[in-house]
Amino acid sequence: MTAEMNWGGTNRLPNRGALIDRSRPVTFSFEGSLVEGFEGDTIASALCANGQWMISRSFKYHRPRGVLTMIGQDANTLVQIGDEPNCLADKRRIAPGLVVEGQNYFGSFDSDAGRFVEWVSKFLPVGFYYKTFHEKRSSWRFWEPIVRAMAGLGKIDPHAHHGYFDKQYLFADVAVIGGGPAGLAAAAEAAKAGGEVLLIDENPKLGGCLNYARFDESGEAACKADGELLNAVKAAGNIRVMSDAVVTGLFADNWIPVVRGNRFYKLRAKAIVVATGSIEQPAVFRNNDLPGIMLGSAAQRLIHLYGVRPGKRAVILTANDDGYAQAIDLLKIGSAVATVVDLRADPPQTALSKAVARAGITVHAGSAIAEAYHHGNKEHVVGVAVAPVAGEGQLSDPTASYECDLVLMSVGYSPAAHLLLQAGAKFAYSTASHMFEPREIPAGLYAAGSVAGQFNLDQVAAGGRRAGWAAARHAGGTVGAEPAEVSDPGAAQQTHPWPIFPHAKGGEFVDFDEDLKYDDLINGIADGFDNVELLKRYSTVGMGPSQGKHSAVAAVRIVARETGRDLAALTVTTQRPPYTPEKFGHLAGRIFDPERRTAMHHRHLELGAQMMPAGIWWRPAYYGPKAEREKAIREEVNAVRNDVALIDVSTLGGLDVRGPDAAEFLNRMYTFTYAKLAVGKSRYVLMTDQAGVITDDGVACRFSEEHFYVTATTSGVDAVYRSMLQWNAQWRLDVDVANVTAAYAGVNIAGPKSRQVLQRLCQDIDLSAEAFPYLGVREGTVAGIPARLLRVGFVGELGYEIHVPYGYGEALWDAVVEAGQPEGIRPFGVEAQRVLRLEKGHIIVSQDTDGLTNAWEADMPWALAKTKPFFVGGRSTQIMAKMPLLRKLVGFTLDDPALPCPEECHLVIKGGEIVGRVTSAVNSPSLGKVVGMAYVHPADAAPDSKIQIKIDGGRMIEGRVVKLPFYDPEGKRQEM
Amino acid sequence: MALPKVFAHNQLRRSPIYRETQKAGAFPEVVNGGAVPMHYGSVESDTLVGARMGIADLSVLPHTGFKGAGTIEWLQGQGLSIGPDSNMAFRQEGGELAARLAPSEIFLIDSLAATGALIQKLNGAWGWGTEKPRKLIGYPMPRQDSHAWFMVTGSAAPEMFAKICGVDLRPHKFKLGQIAQTSLAKMSGIVIRGDLGQVPAYHLLADIASAEYLWGAVLDAMGEFNGRPVGLAALRQLAEG
Repeated sequence: MTAEMNWGGTNRLPNRGALIDRSRPVTFSFEGSLVEGFEGDTIASALCANGQWMISRSFKYHRPRGVLTMIGQDANTLVQIGDEPNCLADKRRIAPGLVVEGQNYFGSFDSDAGRFVEWVSKFLPVGFYYKTFHEKRSSWRFWEPIVRAMAGLGKIDPHAHHGYFDKQYLFADVAVIGGGPAGLAAAAEAAKAGGEVLLIDENPKLGGCLNYARFDESGEAACKADGELLNAVKAAGNIRVMSDAVVTGLFADNWIPVVRGNRFYKLRAKAIVVATGSIEQPAVFRNNDLPGIMLGSAAQRLIHLYGVRPGKRAVILTANDDGYAQAIDLLKIGSAVATVVDLRADPPQTALSKAVARAGITVHAGSAIAEAYHHGNKEHVVGVAVAPVAGEGQLSDPTASYECDLVLMSVGYSPAAHLLLQAGAKFAYSTASHMFEPREIPAGLYAAGSVAGQFNLDQVAAGGRRAGWAAARHAGGTVGAEPAEVSDPGAAQQTHPWPIFPHAKGGEFVDFDEDLKYDDLINGIADGFDNVELLKRYSTVGMGPSQGKHSAVAAVRIVARETGRDLAALTVTTQRPPYTPEKFGHLAGRIFDPERRTAMHHRHLELGAQMMPAGIWWRPAYYGPKAEREKAIREEVNAVRNDVALIDVSTLGGLDVRGPDAAEFLNRMYTFTYAKLAVGKSRYVLMTDQAGVITDDGVACRFSEEHFYVTATTSGVDAVYRSMLQWNAQWRLDVDVANVTAAYAGVNIAGPKSRQVLQRLCQDIDLSAEAFPYLGVREGTVAGIPARLLRVGFVGELGYEIHVPYGYGEALWDAVVEAGQPEGIRPFGVEAQRVLRLEKGHIIVSQDTDGLTNAWEADMPWALAKTKPFFVGGRSTQIMAKMPLLRKLVGFTLDDPALPCPEECHLVIKGGEIVGRVTSAVNSPSLGKVVGMAYVHPADAAPDSKIQIKIDGGRMIEGRVVKLPFYDPEGKRQEM
Repeated sequence: MALPKVFAHNQLRRSPIYRETQKAGAFPEVVNGGAVPMHYGSVESDTLVGARMGIADLSVLPHTGFKGAGTIEWLQGQGLSIGPDSNMAFRQEGGELAARLAPSEIFLIDSLAATGALIQKLNGAWGWGTEKPRKLIGYPMPRQDSHAWFMVTGSAAPEMFAKICGVDLRPHKFKLGQIAQTSLAKMSGIVIRGDLGQVPAYHLLADIASAEYLWGAVLDAMGEFNGRPVGLAALRQLAEG
């Protein structure tokens, strides 16, 4: 670390820094030392301002790495912030108290023991995993701990606080991605058509390259264009600007995700202009990864956006006019330019190159950097060797060397075409511009600016206007005359075809993310992976955090040359979202997780209920502490059997089936008959699908000739409702079906004392057994609340289901609990209800049935109407009646009281074969023994047959088949 | 310091979120057999908040529905004004909204005066009848108890909705009286634009059993706009302009 850091940093420049606010100093820490910067600084700019050039350690060799792009397009600046790994230091802005640490080192950041890995790099060849683990199984035992220790970037805290992320929809007619000159021009033009335009830019300040790049010696061209374009955007009243927002993908039908801060936006625009610019490409030479070696645009960003001097003495490697512009930038801040090394043998004389010549700077034309030097620790560049270019990728012996603390690379660009490619655009390599250029772009998408091969500032703006016009027209806007087509012959002077210069000693990095050198790719191709996609997977080129933004083009060039293929016929590897790293938190968002609560939900909580999910409903499982679960369930069962208790049955499905054809409709939907069911009576309903498989059950309550109130299972009612609507769309019966599940709250008051409790609350219904018998249904009031009452017997005792409108549910519960105090009424939960119904031998659909169970297997032929012509699944049920049964649901008990109670899904074995499974089993509090239901072989379905059950640990126990129900077989208790 | 004199838990009809409004400091009054939060300490303050970003619980106010063959004709026969378009709500003489969810389905919500007069009249008029064959007049739907009723108000409401709903509810895209039957915070819901004077406002009708969840989700989404619950009194003031 730098020992002394002045406020704002010793490398801070006066009067520059468009993004920083010098009136707002900010202090944060990096590797335990305090660092001072200004509001608007990124971590990287503040560190550079303070002389801290090494920001991270590389993935494999732990080499020191510093600023490369200053725009978050590379993995050189990944740092750890608290529990968040892999933050981009050149994008993340500083904040007071921010604690930043380096990552990927052993020991200390400055003296990383991991750096010695590079010494053994020859033992880590390309395709290391393929070669090492292909055959020798023992090698994994040796390498596993090493690989695990070395793998990954940063540290994840599994106990990290769950951050707040959310999502939001955006709406626009035209979306413009990119706030540079092309994007600004496109937005302003599109806005003229009157639609809504959304301009999305990843930077905090609109203008893109106009904020830092130099297009002429005076710098006026950028200022002028910036002013004009920004004014046009501001003047339009229908452009919404989103800065600091990254479009991470482009999907079908113009669906784009936008990440800003912790929010994930979702936008579907009618038309999209992609003005994402281009990505400056590094040159490949020995030690090209040293801190202090950066893209020319990165240095310009440091100077103009953050007011940071990138170095005191620079060497510029260039192949275009931009390198000369950068030389002027450096001169204007008082830095020295040792030399300009131009890859071109005969660079054109331009205004910028002439200005550089006037400044007395030596230009090495037709030359390249052969090697960069360091002081042994690789922490910063200290000089370079310059050599003439002898051929494609070949250098003569060095002819000069220069001391320097800064090397700028400005050798060309590659279009930032990721979004267009994701959307299906076709790009092809141009031998004229030496860049990939768009050939086909899907309808509704338009490209403008350097992503479309336009580099001249005037042409960029013109291209933007044309794209904006076309997008507005596609979006249905009223547009004026079509702007002229744009072509930029100057684009051919931007990118060098082969800025790759291998060195005899190696160390020329093609992929900084994965520490891949030139020879690694050559060896990978020699190993047979001579296709770009194959080489990518074998060598991992382009698979690091920056996803090949700086390595993909070089890799394609190398593959083309090594395999003798035409570069123009090749493409870069498939581009997949996200364009920049996005967090799981962004994808997860706010995590909406709807749930349903009954009207009595809070009463259950107040009573100490342990709640359990039933679909998205919450139901009380039992009342009392978890440690006393069994005791609570037992006592709840006993209360129902001996006294009185109540259970919340609000989640039970409820369907109002009304109309002249209501009875006929139920006849078709369910297995029983309902045409002659008397008003005021209820009947069991069993539903099968067309294959005859049992899908649901409940009761149908007839409240009038044309009105049935049909119950369904909690989890099944929505499917039942859908099925009813679907069938009646064909049948066209005069019936209306309404799912009123949530509209009614319900309690079942059950037990031999239930009638005397209910009588205190219900004066308008005669509750006597004669007037209101078992399976009767009535409408009246309970505690002054309008109610539907059902005498049903699911738990096998005298009981009344009381269904009231939801809004009255809690008041009903309160009233019943209060009325039942003399009898000691208590609540019971789902677990006790399951025990009670099992004692009565009632099935639960989907627990005691599965996706294949038919009425014959479930031993429910009593629920099948014999005479009616049709019900859904009836034909299949008839066919299955003639086929041999494969299994049958029976009741069973264990005669040996010492045997443990089987669990659901324990297997039933016969002759060594699996013939069935236990579906339900409990230690019955009412009967004092284990009772259960199981699928058994049909030959064993008769009462007193013995069955073998395989329980935990593979132990076999014997059960005995018994006739259902286990409890009160004559049904007298429920009919009291 | 004034204290509430009416408590929801003393009423037979209870809002599914009465505990939430109570925690937020509601001062309720009895309407339609239940307790409706009238304000949260100050009607004036509620009104200011409501103009920017507020949410009111109207779940106990009268609301009902009718659906099935003959519904529209029968309701028109009862004097209701119902236009031909589905997904539009039609204002009645008394300020009630007849929201046409489908060609033969109406969700009827009372005016903010909450007299319930029209709904009582309709409930009294509907019956099975004795004619054979019976004249088809649709069927009443228990909307009072199937749906919670919230009203989301204020200039920030459209942007807040964009955080929980994919439909563009901005006033220049979603006209007065328009209905969206859509997904809100991952659950089904009905949104009806029903401005209060010049203030954008939306009726929000959703599954009563998920009301606590939805109330929490909306409040959470309102957070960045400094939104909070407001009472019925503020809605009435905003409606008066």
